[in-house]
Amino acid sequence: MTALNLNEDQQDCLQELINVAMGQASDQLARYLDTFVYLKVPSIEQVNAESLSTTLNTEEKGIAVVSQGFFGYEGIRGEALLVYQPKDSDRLADLLGYEPDELTVEEQIIDLSSILTTTFLNVFASQIDNQMSYSAPRLLSSGLHSVSDHLEQLSFNWDMALKVKISYQVTDYSFNCDMILLIPESAILNITTVIDRILDEF
Amino acid sequence: MPVDDFCSSIANQLNTGVLIVDLNCKILKWNRFLEIHTNKKPDDVFGKCLFTTFPELPQRWFERKISSVVQLKTPSFCSWEQRRHLFKLPHTRPITTDSKYMAQNVTFLPIETEGKIEHICLLIEDVTDVCHYQSMLRQTLDELALANRIDGLTQVFNRKHWEECLAKEFARARRYSHDVSLIMFDLDHFKLLNDTYGHQSGDMVLIEVAKHTQSLLRLCDLFGRYGGEEFAIILPETDLAGALDVAERIRKGIESLVLSYQGKSIETSASVGVAVIDERNKRYEDLISNADMALYQAKASGRNQVRSAQELTESAELS
Repeated sequence: MTALNLNEDQQDCLQELINVAMGQASDQLARYLDTFVYLKVPSIEQVNAESLSTTLNTEEKGIAVVSQGFFGYEGIRGEALLVYQPKDSDRLADLLGYEPDELTVEEQIIDLSSILTTTFLNVFASQIDNQMSYSAPRLLSSGLHSVSDHLEQLSFNWDMALKVKISYQVTDYSFNCDMILLIPESAILNITTVIDRILDEF
Repeated sequence: MPVDDFCSSIANQLNTGVLIVDLNCKILKWNRFLEIHTNKKPDDVFGKCLFTTFPELPQRWFERKISSVVQLKTPSFCSWEQRRHLFKLPHTRPITTDSKYMAQNVTFLPIETEGKIEHICLLIEDVTDVCHYQSMLRQTLDELALANRIDGLTQVFNRKHWEECLAKEFARARRYSHDVSLIMFDLDHFKLLNDTYGHQSGDMVLIEVAKHTQSLLRLCDLFGRYGGEEFAIILPETDLAGALDVAERIRKGIESLVLSYQGKSIETSASVGVAVIDERNKRYEDLISNADMALYQAKASGRNQVRSAQELTESAELS
């Protein structure tokens, strides 16, 4: 666990990189979606595999979670989870600029997830002179089964992960969702190397 | 070999469709996979509009998708789970699957030239196999779920599932002060039948009794095998008079069943107990034991008859 702990400088640096990426991403999203997108100050913390489902606070039924993997140079990789409360999916098609009958609610959620994840991570990657590739987004769970049930059935091949949580708000459409980036143990060391290099150059 | 030739040689051997369009959705280039699967000549396609060549594409949706790729400079995805196919293409398992078109995962990639996005690359993956196995898996899971609820011999609900249904119906009836009735019946002298004609004759009788009884019930009635030769029926929204009526029809039906086993005709009958929910019943098990007591009473009074728990309590109160 101690090996993963970021020191104060590293934590500040990561926070700063994320803040800048958030600013640029929200600007791009606002232009594409034609509405203001607010991103709340992110929280960065370490989680272990056992406590993942409780930290995601996904007990509620009808919640939808979309997962998308990302991977870049220098072993930077992880998984982005987008978490939606059921009441927030009503006007998604409108927000995305589609006619509601053009696509199902599931497709809307997946589409928006991909947009939020890739926009943010592309900007973040360019901050650290990197470039990201993405796997196709997948809907992990929605409807009757709660996501924590789903997560509990998974076995993880990691013990600790770095969790970055960013909340998105689109007030014009009274829409909220959480983006949770999970960076597994092995990739944290790689990200720390990148952060140290940035700190050295600074 | 120059690198470009390498690339196009590899692209042409990929088992994935590669299609390049400009921002006006004009087709610029594709690989061999698409030439073969569309069965169109490049000369007839290159320079043409994507939507004329593939009229099956949802144009408005497609254009909005492309605009996100261009504006945000991010890839976009379309999975077979949401849209089974975008392009109507044949696939490589026409014989051993039942899909008409190739199930596809499509990726939209922004292609940057000198900092500007001027082209989009579409990758079209054939996932017919995945789609096929997924639907087989789903079908198997459905069958398993059904098998888990059904009694293998008589094809009515098994004890476990039937009891779960009763728990639900009972809770609902109590919450809204509605009626729910229970019929339990047991075949008379079933052991004698088994001893005389063998167990296979007993099985045949159980199957026929279940089949005939099912035909007398409404769709909303829940019919299960309680154990051995004992069956149970939940009648939602049914009062005592209604339940007694059904019970009597079931008794008569079983009595008049004409069954034959290996040339010998077999007669059977059933003793039936009926109970209706009342405010003293706190648990669904109370309802079962009331119906069971009435059933015992029907047996004790000479079999092949219907008794209700209510008449038992009334006569008990009288004496």
